[in-house]
Amino acid sequence: MKKNFLLSSIKDSLFTGLIALALFGPIVGLRTVAKNEALVVNPKWFVVILIVLVCALGRFLTNLYVYKRDLKYGVQASVGKTITNFLDTKGTQIALSAIIFSLVFPFLPFTDRYLMDIAIMMLTYIMLGWGLNIVIGLAGLLDLGYVAFYAVGAYSYALFAIHFGWSFWICLPIAGIFAAMFGVLLGFPVLRLRGDYLAIVTLAFGEMIRILLLNWYQLTKGPDGLTGIPRPSFFGLPFKSFPEEGEQTFHTFFGLEYSPMQRIIFLYYLILVLALITNLFTLKIRRLPIGRAWEALREDEIACKSLGVNPRNTKLTAFAIGAMFGGFAGSFFATRQAFISPESFTFIESAIIVAIVVLGGMGSQTGVVLATVFLIGLIEVFRDFESYRMIAFGGAMVLIMIFRPRGILATRKPTITLHKKEPAK
Amino acid sequence: MTQKLLDVENLTMKFGGLVAIDNLSFSTDKDQITSIIGPNGAGKTTVFNCLTGFYKATAGSMFLNKEKERMNLTKFSDFKVAQKAGVARTFQNIRLFPQMSVLENLMVAQHNKLMDASGFTILGLFNSPSFVQKEKEAVEISKYWLDIIGLTHRADDDAGDLPYGDQRKLEIVRAMCINPHLLCLDEPAAGLNAKESAELNKLLLFIKKEKKTGILLIEHDMSVVMEISDHVIVLNYGKKIFEGSAKETKNSPEVIEAYLGTEE
Repeated sequence: MKKNFLLSSIKDSLFTGLIALALFGPIVGLRTVAKNEALVVNPKWFVVILIVLVCALGRFLTNLYVYKRDLKYGVQASVGKTITNFLDTKGTQIALSAIIFSLVFPFLPFTDRYLMDIAIMMLTYIMLGWGLNIVIGLAGLLDLGYVAFYAVGAYSYALFAIHFGWSFWICLPIAGIFAAMFGVLLGFPVLRLRGDYLAIVTLAFGEMIRILLLNWYQLTKGPDGLTGIPRPSFFGLPFKSFPEEGEQTFHTFFGLEYSPMQRIIFLYYLILVLALITNLFTLKIRRLPIGRAWEALREDEIACKSLGVNPRNTKLTAFAIGAMFGGFAGSFFATRQAFISPESFTFIESAIIVAIVVLGGMGSQTGVVLATVFLIGLIEVFRDFESYRMIAFGGAMVLIMIFRPRGILATRKPTITLHKKEPAK
Repeated sequence: MTQKLLDVENLTMKFGGLVAIDNLSFSTDKDQITSIIGPNGAGKTTVFNCLTGFYKATAGSMFLNKEKERMNLTKFSDFKVAQKAGVARTFQNIRLFPQMSVLENLMVAQHNKLMDASGFTILGLFNSPSFVQKEKEAVEISKYWLDIIGLTHRADDDAGDLPYGDQRKLEIVRAMCINPHLLCLDEPAAGLNAKESAELNKLLLFIKKEKKTGILLIEHDMSVVMEISDHVIVLNYGKKIFEGSAKETKNSPEVIEAYLGTEE
């Protein structure tokens, strides 16, 4: 038995070596170099042999030590149990300390411009993740075109702000309403679709919006994008280094020295508040009848109909509310960048947001935060090794899927309980 | 003569060339259990699907008589039959919300009532007292039904984790939570052992007696049919071949022929 296992492991690792050879041989081994205006093959067999050996040996070792079935599942289960237990018992403290940390973050000694930018980006993704969590996690509608609503929010904010000169606080709800309208617009034709078919149509919808933005030159300036989007002001006080005669700005009003960081910090708190509103709203609505109907719809649509739940209205509200938060995030994006173009709203953005929701654990709010910090953080850490970024990204996903096949936080808490006093947060 | 609860008149359902239900007429009484039996493929479930709006009948009409009005069920499509007319149903293969808790399953059944109370979510967002009150009442109703089927101690567990027999019972009381006039049960005893089907009989008799809800039952398990039915309708090839009390049905030569075939 033991010997058999060893033999099969050796066989398996040899096979892995062969696959590695077939893959890396042509890709790494046969490198073409331009020499004297001609393409010359510059073989690197030593590197190939090294890679093949590493793959085969790695496979052999994992075979011996990790892939003994019970051990593998043991590791999975224990990792899962530790995480779940930890979050179950310390959940509230963790959430509180995370909020406190994010509140004081801009004033920590090591915080610089670069970290602030990353933090703002992460918070934007967290907000998008929370918004999409309503559609995917609660209502179970796999939406691959979420970036469309982000784009609609950004463009409607930009257009209203540029052409009418309305302030951020007026344009924000308008952008949300526009995005929600587009959510309903997408919702209607896909009411009858589920699963894969829904994913395809929503993906196409995302692309349609992007292509529309590219080609409707009169309105959107096409690929040139919209420039000169007004910056947000602090309740009417702009952030400017040189105020005009008699104009009150943020730093003169508060008697501060001007610093560009002031605006960044303001933007940071703005997105933090927007994201927290999204979170509170979702936590609350999950415990209302409409939230329960979303989850019921995810579980079994036919049973819902037999109980008199209107599937059309239920789905449309999920699309609309999810899209609305996408729109809010979009208008924040527009005001932060001061420049938007269709380039920012490609399919890869949708894919990242979906990845955040799915890896975080469908329907889990904390999971979205963990997945965002993990994925976006990883992309940033690997910024200096450009070509390896996507490998790291993919590797992270594979790791999560091995150890937590249903997402980082997969446990669902009931929205209402009979015996335990506390309703689930 | 007392008014019937449900009048089905000349119901016909065709799928292309296939006639699944052929000119079927029957009626059921209030606070009575009516069983529809018949060999496989006789069209029993199709009758249910027409009644509950999942199919649109090719021809014929179905009327539900409430205290004040006579509702034409053919006018309602899918979810409206449950919402407006109060016809609830269960399914041959159990359709609970497996990843939601037992209590949540019953709360979803009271969705329309709660949705109105929550002012289409807006009042609910601000915890308006009227909504909180209504939600409490809904929980009480759920608890009432859970007490009856003896599942109160598992109220906060996932419905999918319950044993099979309990899932069947839960599906029935979930349907009762919409406060229906007519309850349609599609093979509720399928897969239950003797003890569980005895419990099921008790539950159905309770619903009939205490709630005055008419029950329409499709069943293969003759022990259930014979024990609790007040009225039996036998279908074969979409046609009604017999109608009568349980005892009459047992001894009817037409019924025996449909199930066992004729002697050579």
